[in-house]
Amino acid sequence: MPYTCPVCGYPNLPGPPRDYEICPSCGTEFEYHDARRSHIELRQLWAGRDAPWHSIVVAPPVGWNPWMQMIRAGYGGDVPRFVIDLRLQADAIVEMREWKSGAQLHGVPSLAFT
Amino acid sequence: MLKPYVCVACEKVIVAAPDNVASLIGLFNKIIIAVAPGTEIPKNAVTPKEWAIFTIFDTEPGDELKEYVHFVQILYPDKTQFAEVSKNKIAVELNKRAQISVQVLGFPIGQRGKYTVRVWVEENQQMVVGPIEFTMELEIGKPPEKTP
Repeated sequence: MPYTCPVCGYPNLPGPPRDYEICPSCGTEFEYHDARRSHIELRQLWAGRDAPWHSIVVAPPVGWNPWMQMIRAGYGGDVPRFVIDLRLQADAIVEMREWKSGAQLHGVPSLAFT
Repeated sequence: MLKPYVCVACEKVIVAAPDNVASLIGLFNKIIIAVAPGTEIPKNAVTPKEWAIFTIFDTEPGDELKEYVHFVQILYPDKTQFAEVSKNKIAVELNKRAQISVQVLGFPIGQRGKYTVRVWVEENQQMVVGPIEFTMELEIGKPPEKTP
């Protein structure tokens, strides 16, 4: 069962975050790097370096995005903020109309099927 | 075979128990963001923003015996892939539509332009439905003016 890195949120650590396990994503060596610094501090340091993939042995998953990984792990508070305003648009025209038959629409009697 | 009935992006999906009636909140196809003047947005930047891709499929008898997998891929305007592909099993019950909501916790903001959402279904690692594609535009606008 894979484990999640408590620093960067990488969800596929092969072992628990201890005993000098190294996270391929952020490079934290557990019980070494986190002996003197908290996981939050290590995360902020990694994020401050633009959160690069660490390992040269394990390749990052296709499309890997460190910020999405952090958000999914619940560390979204440490994701750098660029946006000061966000609006969603439908970019569409919406017409709210009553159901009308063709006859009502064109002002002619409807065709009767015989 | 599954037949696509709905495939949309929205802000939120609320599913009322016990009948699984889905309500879609905020159907959108454009995001307008503002950043502080002079800010350079890195290529891989993401803004934390919850949204969802909601799909409904009509089913036919026999579909409940098959193992369908639903995939969602998001592409940047330059067609490179954003984040990993989402992959989920579709639960199919006899004579019921299959609904699947994929929640996304952030929106990519590294490139302005049209992002593509691509949805497809595989059975035995073969694409059997789709790909269904729609686009969503990211516009970077001016910060809102402060009202006195």
